[in-house]
Amino acid sequence: MAAEKKHFVCVVCPIGCEIDVVHDGSKIISMEGNKCEKSEEFVSQELIEPMRILTTTVRIQESRWPVIPVRTDKAVPKRLFPRIMKQLRRIKLQAPVNMLDLVVSDILHTGANVIATRTMPRE
Amino acid sequence: MIMQVDVAVIGSGPAGLAAAIHAHESGARKVLLLEREEELGGILKQCIHNGFGLEQFKQDYTGPEYAERLIKELEKTGVQCFLNTLVTGLSSDKVIEALSPEHGALEITAKSIVLAMGCRERTRPSIGIPGTRPAGIFTAGVAQRFVNIDGYLPGKKVVILGSGDIGLIMARRLTLEGARVIGVYEIMSYPGGLKRNIVQCLNDFDIPLHLSHTVTEIRGKERVEGVVISKVDSNLHPVEGSEKSIECDTLLLSVGLIPENELSKKAGIELSVATNGPVTTEIMETSVPGIFTCGNVSTVFDIVDYVAHTGAVAGTFAARYASAKVSGSKQSVDVVAGENVRLLFPQRYGFQDDLVLFVRAAEPVEKPVTIEVTPPGSRISRPYARPNEMLRVKIPRGKLAEGKQPIKVSIREK
Repeated sequence: MAAEKKHFVCVVCPIGCEIDVVHDGSKIISMEGNKCEKSEEFVSQELIEPMRILTTTVRIQESRWPVIPVRTDKAVPKRLFPRIMKQLRRIKLQAPVNMLDLVVSDILHTGANVIATRTMPRE
Repeated sequence: MIMQVDVAVIGSGPAGLAAAIHAHESGARKVLLLEREEELGGILKQCIHNGFGLEQFKQDYTGPEYAERLIKELEKTGVQCFLNTLVTGLSSDKVIEALSPEHGALEITAKSIVLAMGCRERTRPSIGIPGTRPAGIFTAGVAQRFVNIDGYLPGKKVVILGSGDIGLIMARRLTLEGARVIGVYEIMSYPGGLKRNIVQCLNDFDIPLHLSHTVTEIRGKERVEGVVISKVDSNLHPVEGSEKSIECDTLLLSVGLIPENELSKKAGIELSVATNGPVTTEIMETSVPGIFTCGNVSTVFDIVDYVAHTGAVAGTFAARYASAKVSGSKQSVDVVAGENVRLLFPQRYGFQDDLVLFVRAAEPVEKPVTIEVTPPGSRISRPYARPNEMLRVKIPRGKLAEGKQPIKVSIREK
């Protein structure tokens, strides 16, 4: 693949360096605008597969509130967000649930678990 | 019911929780925490995204996780909590009036009080958008509560006015839940929210951000049917002929937060025009001796770590006040804004503790800057200064000799 240019804003720290990257589709050829080396790792990952933590809610029964907040316990490919959301829409938990309880293990074979982010007593 | 306590804390968000924990840890025997909702935690309960506690705990928590960590700490202290309890009155002699279904009408006399009521959102009337008054106009925080706690999606085709952090977070949240977010429109020429939120909430989902734009009309009878967007000039006035009609069923407003100081006014506490919160010293004491303030009721902070920090300071000094019964600050000087400073907190320094300053720039500087604090003439370097990112600097107590001269804070390009 021929060299291409791409613009990134690094989110490793609050500075948010604006980085211009020349890449070959999967590897960095050159980059400028970053103030530290941490951006390199960030941009490399962004080029291969942008990864993010997903936070959302799932439905729950016999509790004070009809939904409970959940998140993936590590970053998952961003492109899988719609499919993960679709799968989580089918789930209905039963109270009580404790914070960090497992909701779905190894969601879509990402190696990440979906866990509850609050305690929800039975009511 | 008539009660007497050492320290009473009003509000159980991150500021109030931290204040109650630290009041207990600093030796206050009887600490009472008052919360109007049915659960502790305040607004953190609905902030289900991550990014909380990065500074304080070096952990990437979601809002509910951050709250639960503080609540678990509080539970170890034996601090008494009254839930469903609405504070209706506060006097300068530190008597609190409150109502609760469980305890009835309460009259609580406290040796010291910590205000931790947080802030509320600016609404459509506070920015005066012309047009009809259909359903489908929400503040971003109200929409956040509907989605994250009540499980309702407030709309399917959404325009967001204002690029405050809650608006950005909701742009992503609504997109994930299947709504279409057409765009975020910001009247200023720079974004209101944190850069990482622009990247992770808008860019990640290809949601456009239009700077120097605003909503100049809302259309629709029963339900929002559309809005008119206009460009604004450098004086923030709509540019004639730039109007564009956009079809939508929902308009979210993320147009600023105002500290919630109705109770402070009742107690005769002096308020700052710049922050809309109490005029405060470095130990978080207000103009009324023994009444302390912390978190977003003081000034709107960018991140929860700063909120909890002020809560810890307020709780610590409220406990000291309750045991010694002496005013915290006898002598104090003003802290005043100099060059390129829009907002400063605290506004007074009483020579009791280190001066931890929160500074907001008036204009963005995307180059290294020096924050100058005089006296004592300290110069602190930062890689940039942005109005949407509060700067925190610390001047040690030992550097500040007692005097009468005001302390001036400026931000200068290096």
